[in-house]
Amino acid sequence: MSGYDIHRGENPRIIFFFWIAMATTATLVLGLGWRQLIAAQKYEEIEKRQTERRVLKPGARGDIYDRKGNLLVGNRAHYSAVVYLDDLRREFREEYSKIIRAERAALKEAYQLTPLKEREDSQLTPDYNELQWVARQNVIQRYIDQINLITGRDDAVSTRTIIRHFNEQLLLPLPLVSDLKPDEYARLIEQVPVQSPIQIHTDTARYYPYGVAAAHTLGYVQKVNPDPDTIPNDGIKTYTFKSKIGKTGLERSFNDLLSGEIGAEIWRVDPLGFQDSLLDGKTPRQGENLITSIDIDLQMAAETALGERTGAAIALDVRTGEVLAIASHPSYDLNDLSPFIPRKTFGEINERGAWLNRTLQLSYPPGSTFKLLTSIAGMRHGTLTLQTEHDCQGVFRLGNRIFHCHARYGHGVVDEAAAIESSCNIFYYAEGLRMGIDVLSAEAKRFGLAERTGIEVPYETKRLVVPTKDWKRERVGSGWVPGDTVNTAIGQGFLLVTPLQMATFIASIARDETRTQPTLRALSYVEAQQVNHGGEPVGLTRKQRAELWEGMERVVGDGGTGRLVQIDGLRIAGKTGTADFRAHGKEVNLAWFVGFAPVENPQIAVAVMVEGTSSLDSYHGGSTAGPVAKDIFLEFIEHYPERAGFQIAR
Amino acid sequence: MAKLRLDRIKPLVALGAFLLAWWTIPTTVKSFLKASFSEFQAPAWVATSYLDDLENFWARRSHSKVELIEAGREVARAKSLYQFNSQRNETLENEIQRLEAILNLPSRREFRYEVARVVRRDLNAWWQQIVIRKGKDFDIPVGAAVVFSGGVVGRVVEVGAFTSRIELVTSPNFRMAANFEGDERPVVYQGLPQSGFGDPLGAVRDAPKDVIASTQIPLKLVSTRLGGTFPPGLMIGRVSWLEPGNTGIFQAGEVELDTRLLSLHEVAVLIPLYPIDLQDDVP
Repeated sequence: MSGYDIHRGENPRIIFFFWIAMATTATLVLGLGWRQLIAAQKYEEIEKRQTERRVLKPGARGDIYDRKGNLLVGNRAHYSAVVYLDDLRREFREEYSKIIRAERAALKEAYQLTPLKEREDSQLTPDYNELQWVARQNVIQRYIDQINLITGRDDAVSTRTIIRHFNEQLLLPLPLVSDLKPDEYARLIEQVPVQSPIQIHTDTARYYPYGVAAAHTLGYVQKVNPDPDTIPNDGIKTYTFKSKIGKTGLERSFNDLLSGEIGAEIWRVDPLGFQDSLLDGKTPRQGENLITSIDIDLQMAAETALGERTGAAIALDVRTGEVLAIASHPSYDLNDLSPFIPRKTFGEINERGAWLNRTLQLSYPPGSTFKLLTSIAGMRHGTLTLQTEHDCQGVFRLGNRIFHCHARYGHGVVDEAAAIESSCNIFYYAEGLRMGIDVLSAEAKRFGLAERTGIEVPYETKRLVVPTKDWKRERVGSGWVPGDTVNTAIGQGFLLVTPLQMATFIASIARDETRTQPTLRALSYVEAQQVNHGGEPVGLTRKQRAELWEGMERVVGDGGTGRLVQIDGLRIAGKTGTADFRAHGKEVNLAWFVGFAPVENPQIAVAVMVEGTSSLDSYHGGSTAGPVAKDIFLEFIEHYPERAGFQIAR
Repeated sequence: MAKLRLDRIKPLVALGAFLLAWWTIPTTVKSFLKASFSEFQAPAWVATSYLDDLENFWARRSHSKVELIEAGREVARAKSLYQFNSQRNETLENEIQRLEAILNLPSRREFRYEVARVVRRDLNAWWQQIVIRKGKDFDIPVGAAVVFSGGVVGRVVEVGAFTSRIELVTSPNFRMAANFEGDERPVVYQGLPQSGFGDPLGAVRDAPKDVIASTQIPLKLVSTRLGGTFPPGLMIGRVSWLEPGNTGIFQAGEVELDTRLLSLHEVAVLIPLYPIDLQDDVP
């Protein structure tokens, strides 16, 4: 008789319980099966979300070089002392216990001193949450004090910073001290014990070996949180180190190229969110390098020649439109803006008006340099011939208005070449009137002076004015008068162009075309052979062009307005200009020089503009802007003697 | 039977009691016990080292006169060379002081040195330390730099009454700021766990990516004055290769250290003449 035989009494109640037990077991088995086989993936995803964290680290930005391989923008080490809060958990607990004990004792004492009637139970309960933050702050501050002792700093951490870090960036290191100087970094390396939770974190910051050189063109970067689109949307909580994006200049235009590839780490975390083990990792990768067309020697020559003055200088490769030098003053040292822009530095640069890139962000009247365009327009339209002469007596009467020449007693009888050489206003007043504003404006537009150049630097101004009758009616609200035409003919009046436009203009004349597409990218040999500037031939006969160029060469001759630009052995064609301009709330001078060299085979085109900052400044194209251009030409001869037509010194 | 079992667990009970007691006693007491133990051991080490010196002395007594005369000549030659170098250093020192005066530069940190015999080597994979025969009796401070003719030896980590313990440059617990010879940018040097068979090795990290090292032209890693502990230019080791680190921008590599570090007999402790002024001193 087996042990179960005793149940053979056929008690019907036991059958009832048997079926209940069977149903319950079946439910459990089915439930288990459903969860294990069907809903397993869902639970895996939930588990992953709860236990895994992703840390994204941006890659370093690529470097920027000049055309000869000199580093213009690189990355330097940026040191900070950090601590992973996970390493401090034991200290947090100990400090918290200590504080709690002290707080309870203090409350108890206060409670006992309180009269019986005023006693409340809550008086004996400390605010545990607040004390927890106090404990954490105390521990972290102790480490900062240790750093302060070694470095001589006086840094502190706020509870708010700690709370924010705990809530938003627990897996990332908490910066204790940022932007350590090399000696502070070295002291910490030597004096903080290897076993200390303090770690010396090395990041990158932008570094500019040439400081102020081409500051506006190269641009600077800003630290930002990464684009949310770059974060995988797989439910895993992601922490990100800040990345850098270009804010201005080439850093902005070529941001995609220069930005590094983001690296990632997947961490398993414990229930409190602290890191437990590294599951997967991918190393960040540095961005691509950019090779610019800038020649740092010419750039430094332009920067040095401009010196403390306000203005702009640009040098272009006549054939390809590559920018060899592009300087805007006042400038700023880009290193002062890295790793971040201090408020004081921002204010100081703002006060000097140095944020503005004068090569392309501001437009100015071109002054007498525009007479070259008036000449071309006249010759193409047939109003100006090789025989044309005007008698300059120093004044030009137009109705009841008198227009002056800069030579008080006049230049006498001048032809086109002589008018260019002496920059005679009277000649161009008369020629402007003869051809009319429609012809003049059309020619200026044909040379692209009403359009932005499209160079790879952002924020090129839209405020470019090549006036027409319609334009004046719309914008000024009055009709066009002959006085406007004569003013326009000598580059004054409503005309507004940028120095970069004038550089492309003079390069176009040098190539006998109407357009020059400037670029800051160094072109390969093949690209340089295939450059298409998008213009058309100027349309002058050989004799007309010779007359124009002769006048320009005479400008730099012994009797010309640009004689200070003369260089022995180098034939330079140029044009000076001096314009009146209203800036800084006052009338100031603008000094211009545009030119190219060598005349027999043009290689380099230069445009220089120097802006007066006071009504007392007496600036002239030949004496103020000319020497700046001369320094650029001299540097060109030194570094490209074969292109300048000189024998290579060996 | 029950009694036998109790006997068996007695050692475990004793060990547990000892650990419990060690865990509960205050840190200050532990430090005191540790220091006392070191001080207790030190005289034995010192005595052993004196005996070694005596043994060496008697060993040298057996050398022939010819050998001694030759050795004397060698010493005379070395001495004249050192005298010449000393004079040249003095001239250079004067020149530096003159230039500092012209440029209105604050002086560099100056040191006095204490030469000390090595009495004990404590070398294993986890730490690499030596004990020298000078301590508080010669005002040796904790943290002072220790050097020898081949360059950096390490840093003083513990000072007893008559002995001091030096963390060797080969030790994983040793870290210092350094730079490559001719390059001012600081990098980090740290010792590595030593295998015990090959030459001593260290690691360098945070090297700028434009620094190139090769087996044909190894780079010299030298001390930098930026850290404030070592004078500049002392040899640490040679770096034959560097590879990109995990930041993708800096490089890391191995440093081949001087093999004599593991058999040192005499070292010099550099003691700063005045405390560092964090605000005014030239780093």
